[in-house]
Amino acid sequence: MEHNELFTFDNVKKSPLHSLNFSIKRGDNVMLFGPSGAGKSTLLHLFNRLSDPDKGSIYYLGKDLQSYSITELRKEVGLVMQAPNLFPGTVLDNLKYGPSLHGEWNSEKAEALLEAVQLPADYLDRSVDQLSGGEQQRVSLARTLANNPSVLLLDEPTSALDQHTTEEIEQVLEGLAIEQGVTLIMVTHHLDQAKRLGSRGIFLSDGEIIEEGNLADLLSNPKTEELQAFMT
Amino acid sequence: MSPEISNQSLLFLVVFVLVPLTLSYYYQLGLSKGIMWSSIRGTIQLFAIGYLLTYLFDLPAYIGIPFMLTIMITVASFHARKKGKGLPSVLGIIFIGLIVIEGSVLGLWLLFDMIEFTPNEVIPMSGMVIGNSMIAMGLALERLKSEFKENEGRLTAALSLGAEPKQASQIIIQRTLGASLIPNVDKLKTIGLVQLPGMMTGLILGGVSPIMAIKYQLVISLSIFSAVSLSAIYITLMMYKYFYNNKMQLKHMEFDQ
Repeated sequence: MEHNELFTFDNVKKSPLHSLNFSIKRGDNVMLFGPSGAGKSTLLHLFNRLSDPDKGSIYYLGKDLQSYSITELRKEVGLVMQAPNLFPGTVLDNLKYGPSLHGEWNSEKAEALLEAVQLPADYLDRSVDQLSGGEQQRVSLARTLANNPSVLLLDEPTSALDQHTTEEIEQVLEGLAIEQGVTLIMVTHHLDQAKRLGSRGIFLSDGEIIEEGNLADLLSNPKTEELQAFMT
Repeated sequence: MSPEISNQSLLFLVVFVLVPLTLSYYYQLGLSKGIMWSSIRGTIQLFAIGYLLTYLFDLPAYIGIPFMLTIMITVASFHARKKGKGLPSVLGIIFIGLIVIEGSVLGLWLLFDMIEFTPNEVIPMSGMVIGNSMIAMGLALERLKSEFKENEGRLTAALSLGAEPKQASQIIIQRTLGASLIPNVDKLKTIGLVQLPGMMTGLILGGVSPIMAIKYQLVISLSIFSAVSLSAIYITLMMYKYFYNNKMQLKHMEFDQ
């Protein structure tokens, strides 16, 4: 059965997050934004059980998140962090890491993965130390994509990159969302970026959801003083 | 046999303390108190252990040896635990590890007739094995903690890609073991060339022929090498799990900036 609701948060508490109640639908591209310390990254890690709520429940496709195998869930709900955090070795070593854990690596996949993040195929044998910051972040994205995730959690993946590289990464993400139907859940500080990539926005402050809804509406017509202040 | 050091000669050792003491005073290093205290403490400790050993050597082997080994392993466990501060069950794990490692080494020595089961042979030899194992466990624990801290991002990445804790920790385990074992391999390579090992020096000064001294030194050096390797591997493999909870999540992590 196809569940329209991808994630449902039911009274979820996890310091510094207070009581969170919201749902994310399939195909929503959700932008999480708000001031530092609002709990954005903490929230992001709850989606693939890198941490668990202190109270409340999270449902994925209608079933309690706790009922899934953790490793399978993490493959399906991938994460790209602010820093690339590549493993020592070559680009190829990094790309095959996830699939190899479950004996699912197919070497023919490697070039397609690099193409997806707009890197040339001859990068496969390069040591990750030789790559620029932008290239490392692309490899990090490709490494997560190697697991074929249906949801991609992104924790400010472009905050350390220049404008040009940021735009290129955004194109890749847009392509994934549109062509492959990957749902993006992304923490970002940049409202412009949120507008470009998101369809839905969640504005957090002090561990609480202050406003949420259609992103364009949210940003064109902020109802709370907090969001108005954040936008200026 | 070399001449015995008289108590009078021993008094002149004070000169060796006066040199660093004068330097500290002259350059205002503020170490005078520390130098005095550690010299006096060290002297008292050594004499105390000398008298204790004299007493133990006179006891029957089956009493003196277990008694002294228990003390040594207990003290070593408490000392190594300091390096693993904050990790649960670390004292018990070190204690058991030291018993097993010392027990195995001692068993092999006796099995292959390398030493006699007498306090004057077992206690000093075991002291070296236990002491070195203690240092190896302490270093491995320290390294393990710093590797986990430094590689928090990579570990999170590995877990998020579907790795189990054992798989995610692979790089850290390799690095910790490498760091613990490489100095010992190097030490073994230059043994006898850079400095004569302590035990061999002692035996030669005591009048034993250099070849006999080397035989003993080989037994102890290779035993230490093996014990140190085992200690590092044991403590690393036992402790890395404690950095995760049973939900394959890293413990004590602050995710928000």
